[in-house]
Amino acid sequence: MNVNRRQVLRTGGGIGVATLLAACGGGRKTSSSPADADGAGGADGAPRKGGTLRIGALGRSSAITRDPHGNQGNESDYLIIALVYDTLTAPGLKDNTVGRLATGWKASDDLKTWRFTLAEGATFHDGSPVTADDVVWSLRRLRNTPAGASRLPGIKAANITADGKDVVVLVSDYPNAELPLLTRLSTFVLKKDTPDKDVATAPGTGPFKLDRYRSGNARLLRNDHWHGGQVHLDAIEVTMFESPQAMANALMGGQIDVASNAGSVAARTTSSRKDIQVIRRPNDMAMPIVMRTAQGSPFADPRVREAVKLVVDREAMVKQVLSGYGTVANDILGTADPAYAKDIPQRKRDLGKARKLLGEANFDLSKTYELITTEDIPGLAESAALFATQAREAGIKVEVVKQESAAFYDKTWLKGDFYTNYWGTNDSVVFFASNTMVTDAARNEAGWSDKDFDAAYRKAIGTADKSARAKALHELQQIEHERSGYLLWGMADGIDLAAPTVHGLPRLPGYGRVQLESVWLSR
Amino acid sequence: MTGAVEPRAGAAVPRRAVPAPRRALALAARAGVVLAERAVMLCALLAVVFAAIELLPGDAASATAERGESAAAAAAHRHLLGLDRPLWERFTNWMTALPAGDLGTSARGEHVTDLLSAPFPNTLLLGGTAFAVTLAAALALGYWGAARPGGPVDHIVGFASTVTLALPEFVVAVGLLLVLSSWTGLLPAVTLTADDGSLASWTMLVMPVLALAVPQIGWNARIIRGALADQAGAPHVIAARLDGLSPARVLLRHALPGARPAVATGIATSTGMLLGGAVVVETLFNYPGIGSVLAGAVADRDTPVIAGVVAVTGAVISLVLLGADLVRARTLGARP
Repeated sequence: MNVNRRQVLRTGGGIGVATLLAACGGGRKTSSSPADADGAGGADGAPRKGGTLRIGALGRSSAITRDPHGNQGNESDYLIIALVYDTLTAPGLKDNTVGRLATGWKASDDLKTWRFTLAEGATFHDGSPVTADDVVWSLRRLRNTPAGASRLPGIKAANITADGKDVVVLVSDYPNAELPLLTRLSTFVLKKDTPDKDVATAPGTGPFKLDRYRSGNARLLRNDHWHGGQVHLDAIEVTMFESPQAMANALMGGQIDVASNAGSVAARTTSSRKDIQVIRRPNDMAMPIVMRTAQGSPFADPRVREAVKLVVDREAMVKQVLSGYGTVANDILGTADPAYAKDIPQRKRDLGKARKLLGEANFDLSKTYELITTEDIPGLAESAALFATQAREAGIKVEVVKQESAAFYDKTWLKGDFYTNYWGTNDSVVFFASNTMVTDAARNEAGWSDKDFDAAYRKAIGTADKSARAKALHELQQIEHERSGYLLWGMADGIDLAAPTVHGLPRLPGYGRVQLESVWLSR
Repeated sequence: MTGAVEPRAGAAVPRRAVPAPRRALALAARAGVVLAERAVMLCALLAVVFAAIELLPGDAASATAERGESAAAAAAHRHLLGLDRPLWERFTNWMTALPAGDLGTSARGEHVTDLLSAPFPNTLLLGGTAFAVTLAAALALGYWGAARPGGPVDHIVGFASTVTLALPEFVVAVGLLLVLSSWTGLLPAVTLTADDGSLASWTMLVMPVLALAVPQIGWNARIIRGALADQAGAPHVIAARLDGLSPARVLLRHALPGARPAVATGIATSTGMLLGGAVVVETLFNYPGIGSVLAGAVADRDTPVIAGVVAVTGAVISLVLLGADLVRARTLGARP
């Protein structure tokens, strides 16, 4: 087991601090209903203009990245970038994809050519208008980064072109009904020909403009001319925090107004403070257990995989691993997708059936199986440990092996037979299917190859007709539920903590948490 | 690195017979030799750092890769970072750029000097203040305890220092957070920075400094107390006491000078502990220092950043140890 000091600190020191502070904070016994945030423009009346929002976000000073098309390891960096620069589209609540810098999009009949129309009157912070050329240049720059092929899958740089001043044309190598989904997260638009050395301070088109930046912390000012509508706040100050606990302490001490993505441990710490809003963004983080499906793995037999999925006590996992801040899941990834198949019966613990299936598959119960995990995110290693206990009740001997993050990605990820993993993008069934489950997926974590699944996937992304597509998506999820290599026991809520004066915080899972343009302060 | 300055308090007899110019020259020569020794040791240490990171599983290219990177992209990234070149070559390149103040480029493409430019002064401020507090408090407590050996104060100081020196920094930090911030709200819980990257308020320095200093005060108070007790048996101290001088004067003017080497050595070894503890303390208080840079860089296998941190902190520790050596040399007489 390799653990570095930082992780020991995170888990040992961090949790120690958390429980201590929680135990000593006030000593009152509170009911389990945390103060709930009002929705955007809720009961408190119309949004007020003005004020500076002080927000904390997690990040490490060694991992600072300022390039909007770089690999942002820090949530604080991503937050700053997403406030200064606009993406073409953005995650939405009712519709999975909503417009941002692009206000409309339309596909050709073969679903290969997509035309995006840019927002009318959109300008950069220096006043110059946004043209299709700027967008094309930015998307090509994104496509040419090391991870570009996975950020804009199926779209070659040469196939990103401008048509006039305000239309951008993307041509996919294959029919893709879900293409606008791909342009939500990192298609940040900069001015054409921005030199690499100026990227950090280049003007964007977003709701806020950069005032100053220093060592991961930034101050942003309202962009009065934002194309997307009224922005309420005068300014946003982003402070980078190394640990969620320090961030929660800062919030409780009134040093910041919002602790972004603070997590369940911090939420528990603040539970004695009635004045602190706990904003739960459901379906934020998936923490699946991955079973290798390829030949040679002990889990190659689909009956074994089903048995393992029947062994887990999902309610207990959510309650203990996530402190109740989460929901039970049904072995289908992409739970926040409006197209998520809610009608597929929830899989429940059934040890009898599990034993029977294991017997039929001649699963070797005398062996001990290693479940590899990391401490990359809070609760992940705990989920592995609790699962191991539950599996023992079904006669499966599971030994949890903790790996340090870099070792995990080097040795286990995409290769191991049995490991835990996590995903922070959970609003699309197709995202997971294309990225992790179709036979030739670049990140086929379970080494899965299923003809029926591949066919359902191709049908889902290659069909323009809505109801036919929905049918294919449903079939895809049914197969995934039945025999994929993923045991998805639950979904962790994203948890933001906020002072009582903060209103209109986003409720979206994952990267939707950075949409702060409609936030306002009531003080 | 601390082995070179073992206390030799027993041999502490001030020499006054050596003429001043010769002594100054001898001191300078000694400083030069020690400095050269330390520089060589630092280079060796950096080589060990490079080698050690190589032994860890994974490398900077994979640790900082985005999940979607193809094998070809990862290889290109590896090439860009120079990780496809042999270790000695990367080490030599980094070392030859070092004298010009170039610490290389991080795995995410930032200049290491930029990454360290704001955190390092902050850590120096934190460590330096903690150092000063440690020295002052340990001297006061050690002296206070030694004033009446076996008295109640001596017992209390002895007991308290044993307890505190055994306390890890994060326990002290949590205690301080609870008492000074959560319960009373006297001090801000975390450190925030002003526009220029320095601390927004001096009050934010109090708890991090105390969390670092308390265990070291315990350690140094014991050393000072012990060194003063040793001196109490030295002939010139006994003579001073028999002359009827006041106990305070005997301690300050006659016992303390002889105890200086032990005091300097103790506090010098604390420097390393103070900077090491900063990694933990900075994280708990969100103090924008070098410790958090280091912790993240190790997770990223970011050798230039780690080596940069080791180089600058190593230089500081070397200077402090050199200072301790000079104090010893001055007291014991120059013997290069």
